[in-house]
Amino acid sequence: MAEEFEPRIVAFLCKWCSSAGADLAGVSRMEYPPNIIPIQVMCSGSVSPLYIFSALSHGADGVLVSGCHPGDCHYIKGNYYARRRLALVKKLLEYIGLEPQRFQMSWVSATEGIKFTQIVKDLVRELQPLGPQNKLRRKF
Amino acid sequence: MVSLEQLKEEVKKILSSGNIKYFIGYESLGSGWQVRPAFMRKPEEVDRLVWTPACFHNLVRFLHDEKRRRAREKNPDTRPVGLLVKGCDSRAINVLVQEKYIERKDVYLIGVSCELMGVIDEVKLKRHLPGLKPQKVLFGQKETIKVITDNDKEIEIEASEILADRCLECPANFPVVADIILGEKIKKNVTSPYQSISPYERMSVEERWSFWQGQFSRCLRCYACRSVCPMCYCDECVADSIAYAVTADTTADEKAQKIKWVERNPEPSENIFYHLVRAIHLAGRCVDCGECERVCPVEIPLRLLNKKLEKEARELFGYEVGFDASQPPLIACFRDNDPQDFIR
Amino acid sequence: MEKIIQKSAFPQWLKSLQAFKIFLPKRASYGWELSSNHELQEIPEDYTYPVVPPKKLIFPQEEIFFEFEQNPEDGIKLKEILPEAEQQVIFGVRPCDGRAVKAMDLVFGGTYEDPYYWRRRRQTVLVGLACSQPPSENCFCLSVEGSPSSEEGLDILLTDLGDRYFVKAITEQGKSLLSAASSLFSEPGTRDREAREKIHLEAEKKIKRHLPSARELPERIKAIFDSDFWDEESLNCLRCGICTYLCPTCHCFDINDETKSLAPLKGRRVRTWDTCQFPDFTMHSSGHNPRPDRASRLRQRLSHKFLYFILLFDRFQCVGCGRCVTLCPVGIDIIEVLTRARNHGA
Repeated sequence: MAEEFEPRIVAFLCKWCSSAGADLAGVSRMEYPPNIIPIQVMCSGSVSPLYIFSALSHGADGVLVSGCHPGDCHYIKGNYYARRRLALVKKLLEYIGLEPQRFQMSWVSATEGIKFTQIVKDLVRELQPLGPQNKLRRKF
Repeated sequence: MVSLEQLKEEVKKILSSGNIKYFIGYESLGSGWQVRPAFMRKPEEVDRLVWTPACFHNLVRFLHDEKRRRAREKNPDTRPVGLLVKGCDSRAINVLVQEKYIERKDVYLIGVSCELMGVIDEVKLKRHLPGLKPQKVLFGQKETIKVITDNDKEIEIEASEILADRCLECPANFPVVADIILGEKIKKNVTSPYQSISPYERMSVEERWSFWQGQFSRCLRCYACRSVCPMCYCDECVADSIAYAVTADTTADEKAQKIKWVERNPEPSENIFYHLVRAIHLAGRCVDCGECERVCPVEIPLRLLNKKLEKEARELFGYEVGFDASQPPLIACFRDNDPQDFIR
Repeated sequence: MEKIIQKSAFPQWLKSLQAFKIFLPKRASYGWELSSNHELQEIPEDYTYPVVPPKKLIFPQEEIFFEFEQNPEDGIKLKEILPEAEQQVIFGVRPCDGRAVKAMDLVFGGTYEDPYYWRRRRQTVLVGLACSQPPSENCFCLSVEGSPSSEEGLDILLTDLGDRYFVKAITEQGKSLLSAASSLFSEPGTRDREAREKIHLEAEKKIKRHLPSARELPERIKAIFDSDFWDEESLNCLRCGICTYLCPTCHCFDINDETKSLAPLKGRRVRTWDTCQFPDFTMHSSGHNPRPDRASRLRQRLSHKFLYFILLFDRFQCVGCGRCVTLCPVGIDIIEVLTRARNHGA
């Protein structure tokens, strides 16, 4: 029986909300799949499209960007810019033929440890049938 | 119909006044139908000026050179530069002014209306004249293009059959900003402004990937697309720089820590990365002048990428590019009700 | 060795060359390209020349030199990667592109041979096709000491005589290509030879563009080196890479290390095409750039082709294919520029 494919997901988590939420999940001993590679950024608004393309180029099977809920951004407006910019990135990636499930965004606050674990579980479940990401991956 | 004589008069007038540094227009390329950008400094040189359906170049691109020239000179001549602009070109000016790359007073714009026509697509022209060689291409009456072949035959072609795709979807067929505008300012009726991308939007994910992968495998990374774009004015391109901004003061640390996002070699993954970065950097800035697609030596349909993001900018965010020089850039503003149905 | 092969027998000739990777002209959306698609069985009537010249198959845009890997015991190990051993035959090489390969042979050969280039070069057989009419409106091969029927650089030269090809095998490699299917080839008669002569001569008359007295150019270019002539001529230049990447003789390259991982250090060294028209082609690590503007870069390109190559090898590096003239997005025409250079201040 072939081993179940385990997607590797790069998750850009904003320091003040999403990363704290992920920490809460850990500290509370909530179980969730170990497939994510968390990268803490100061704000979801600081996530450049280049980071997403780069993650996919290095072989990430999925990319998640998670930030504070609208209105709660530590820097007031960062997540609004992220919402706009990353919507365009999502449309562009889908348009060139990348499966839409491979790039996702979420709002996770510092208290939403449970929501975070659910998001990761859902992501892994959605990415498993798609298999490894070979379209944008650098092949050398 | 735009009168070439009147156009030449206007250019001669402004050049004679000494109020502009030089004027950028179009001149004939050799003895054929093609044209190329032409720099005119003296009124006598204006007789070279032409205005034909082959005037596809976006002359706004040459403002980059002017700006770099001024940065190099100790006492630069700060008179405005004169430019011939079509509707699309004028929107490019608005974007550059909006981003504070240039000031409105840095340019003197002589606008020309495309009226109900536009510029032609060379590939479509060739297809309409199998075996014949066009010698002259002129605006005809009643929305036709007149082609004179090299055996002196005169052929009239319906404009809609050989106009460039972008002209068929044009939102501004006469300049939206200019010091004077020649030609009638009649608004062209465009029923389906996103006609060219809809076949690709309807495809399945795999079909789209198969299409784009085939396109990008041909890319030579000559960077003509980027070099010709009026909006790609960065001295050092973040995707793949061919002009590193290294000076005597750049420290070794800065050089070592420069991130290389894209490798120079034309592997498919690198080609796609470069094009994706360029497309996203042009979101809300591209005016669909179509030059990137025209100059590509291997004919990659680049404007399909930019047009898609232009459509999303309009539909998701209500943003129109290049009509209002005072509006903020697309990604430097937001609305409280920006769509977020894609966010968990 | 001179032979005749009927066009109907051409597919059988291709079949006899199964040991080679065969490249034939293929119609693409943007023009012609050389393709190794197995379904191609002929050279189409309306074939002109490939947009991307045959240099791509001998001097590819990506050439891996070696891979490096660091492991704790032995330190850094290098693994040389030479081009694969694969014989290739390229059909439909126009005489200008053949002369261009010869020009590149001079650069990559000599006292120090480039092993990567020569490994591919020696595995390549070039089957030329004489031009019955100029493949491009902007052809000017006669002006740079070429011709529509030049044999230089080619192993075989085919001439299209309508229903058959006149086959001239020039080198030993070319002759060996015929021996694999010798029954398909017959002896040429007087009529064949006359037809071939006629086609070659007629083709020369059809060339529309000329650069007269090209041999005067080296001195003239040298004389106007410091002139502001170049500033005026380069005003339109976008500093893209089209003229150089699509030129059959241009061979400038860049070498980069592509690091896959830093710890342990792992990666490879790759040579890629580069162009003197990019601003930082001559950028020094100090920040000084001896060719900081488009004028000096345009001067460099024309000088390399029409002055320096003459000084080094007594031949023009330009073969008159006209690709740069046709494809320049802003209409910079080297024939015009050089004509004006010759007359400037004369």
